[in-house]
Amino acid sequence: MKDAGPADTRGFALADVDLASFDRQFRAHCRVQRPDRYRLIEALPRDAMRIARGSGVSYTAASFGADAISQSLAAFDRILAFDEDGGRLVAEAGVKIGDVQRFALARGWYLAVAPGHPAATVGGCIAADVHGKNPARDGTFRAVVERIELVRANSDVVVASASDNADLFAATFAGFGLTGVITRATLRLARPPAALIVRRVPVANLAEAARMLREAANAPVLYGWHDGRPGVFGRGVVRIGLATDAGEARAMRVPPPSRDLPAGIRPMPFALWNRAGIAAANVWLGSRWCRAGQSPLPLAEALFPLNDAHAYFAGFGKAGMVEAQWLVPHALFDEFAGMLAERVARDRPRIALIASKLFAGRPEGFGFDGEGIALAIQLPAPAEPRQRAFLEALAEIAITHGGRANLIKESTLDAATARRAVGGFDAARERLAAHNPGGLHASELARRLAL
Amino acid sequence: MSERAATAIVVGASSGLGRALAAELARAQYALLLIASDRRDLDALGASLNLAHGIAVRALALDLGREADPGARIAGTLDGMPPPAALLLPIGQSREDDDLSLDAGRIGALLAVNLHAPLAIVHALLPRLVESHGTVVLFGSVAATRGRGRNVVYASAKRALVSLYESLRQRYRSRELRVQLYELGFMATNLTYGMKLPMPVAEPDAIARTVVRRLERGSSKRYVPRWWALVALAVRWLPWSVYRRMKG
Repeated sequence: MKDAGPADTRGFALADVDLASFDRQFRAHCRVQRPDRYRLIEALPRDAMRIARGSGVSYTAASFGADAISQSLAAFDRILAFDEDGGRLVAEAGVKIGDVQRFALARGWYLAVAPGHPAATVGGCIAADVHGKNPARDGTFRAVVERIELVRANSDVVVASASDNADLFAATFAGFGLTGVITRATLRLARPPAALIVRRVPVANLAEAARMLREAANAPVLYGWHDGRPGVFGRGVVRIGLATDAGEARAMRVPPPSRDLPAGIRPMPFALWNRAGIAAANVWLGSRWCRAGQSPLPLAEALFPLNDAHAYFAGFGKAGMVEAQWLVPHALFDEFAGMLAERVARDRPRIALIASKLFAGRPEGFGFDGEGIALAIQLPAPAEPRQRAFLEALAEIAITHGGRANLIKESTLDAATARRAVGGFDAARERLAAHNPGGLHASELARRLAL
Repeated sequence: MSERAATAIVVGASSGLGRALAAELARAQYALLLIASDRRDLDALGASLNLAHGIAVRALALDLGREADPGARIAGTLDGMPPPAALLLPIGQSREDDDLSLDAGRIGALLAVNLHAPLAIVHALLPRLVESHGTVVLFGSVAATRGRGRNVVYASAKRALVSLYESLRQRYRSRELRVQLYELGFMATNLTYGMKLPMPVAEPDAIARTVVRRLERGSSKRYVPRWWALVALAVRWLPWSVYRRMKG
């Protein structure tokens, strides 16, 4: 493709575009194809390296790479069929999750497993096997997908489900787009709770949070938020969203698309999340969120949690951020949390936010699942030596405590660390390779992790 | 809103302006007959519009470059649908090598899509459109404002559509048949994606809103966006000695 002149590529809808990962840790000058018809997805030369691209909101560079053509699925954003009685929805891969939720909620259904960013696409959620508001109860995205269609690099259109091309189906979840371009999927929706109330349980540290999460395993919404500063590390609140009867239901105001967090966020010219900024934000959040009690939680607020986070992400500035996400088995979690607190006290990294969640699934492939407590730790400016050193130390502590890394989240993991951080890494890599002959589906993420 | 008892026919409905028009017409509750070359695109578009707006959608997969009588195929597909109230022809095919170097076969293929198809479809559907006092919407291009060394066949065909527009207006009064011609500037479609263009591009959705809003107004010729009229005027009035030295 690189030698193709204009006459060769006219009609392919190709352009040269500068792309950056959402966490701003990788950027590249790429060729991007913007097909608007099915035959254009299949029109690339068979030997051209390519990778599907949704909204580009993956923290890591999963949808582009310097040597691959990014095939944007933006035009494939249609909901194709809906079974009102059974809650089955067929959507093209470029449909945004926020739009799925709006469509479903208007008809008395919702997508139980959904990521925070409303611009994440159906295809992206499959490729990343994202998790939602309580993965211990609802599982990961693979739990809500019945069937997918993919276009392989050889232009074959393949249908996969648990009974049809089952290995391809399984490998495509957390397959990072390397098994083909997902073009459509059949999703299984659920009935939403009539109303939610959120119980706020203050916790002094991560071990206490883990106990609280385990006790509330069946809540529809369940996560912890924690201060990451030395001295108060782990202090925070566990938020337990509980379904209530319809008598307490309020008219649901689902935010319009214009309220959604945009896919691209322009960074502030300065970094807001320096020590003073982080301290101020934690004090404010602590006073607002961390008092014990309970209050109504609009379902829309639970389903679109990042719509008010524009300033938060912009505040990382041009140096960007990184999210390290580790799932640690229950038996070793308290010890892990203790060692982490010691390390934070010693290294004093700047941690903008820590979130905790409960997991209760079975890890498959590169998927982020298992039985344990997951921590998502967001740090500004990960290229700074102190921050980098902490991330490396965190990885070592997590690995020695049986931790599993979420590969789709963290840009700073190298291939050797990733191999130690995911049980069954080699088998998962071999399975992906078997479904990606010639390695024609490729990305920066795949290159960095040697997938 | 209840469905209108009228059908809008969109030829070239699967992408760009055609897809935007289909969506806007669905919003306005027209029953739709969608025509494009690939059944998969039509099925996806039709299903999504039916689901979102509850309108009847019928699709016809047709390769306008090969179809000898596209008008007859479309007329046949209309059977059983509400009377056709609007025929919209946002079709156009261009080639990078349309620079006086094409052979006869390629010239014929370009003319088939850009000229023969609109002519044949308009001819075939004219009786029904006149009967329903409907609207024919043609789409020209600013590329045809003045002949250049590029887009030679394409611009010739688009210029011929102006003649078709004039013929229809000369033959029918507005109350019998509305005829509307839109001269389009650069649009944000897959054809212009990645191109460095000298003028801003318009969004197909915005153009579609304008077209559908004006569907039941009288016959007219209009540049969209409107400021392209000034650009076209300037290009037309440039002294030949200056114009021939211009690039492109």
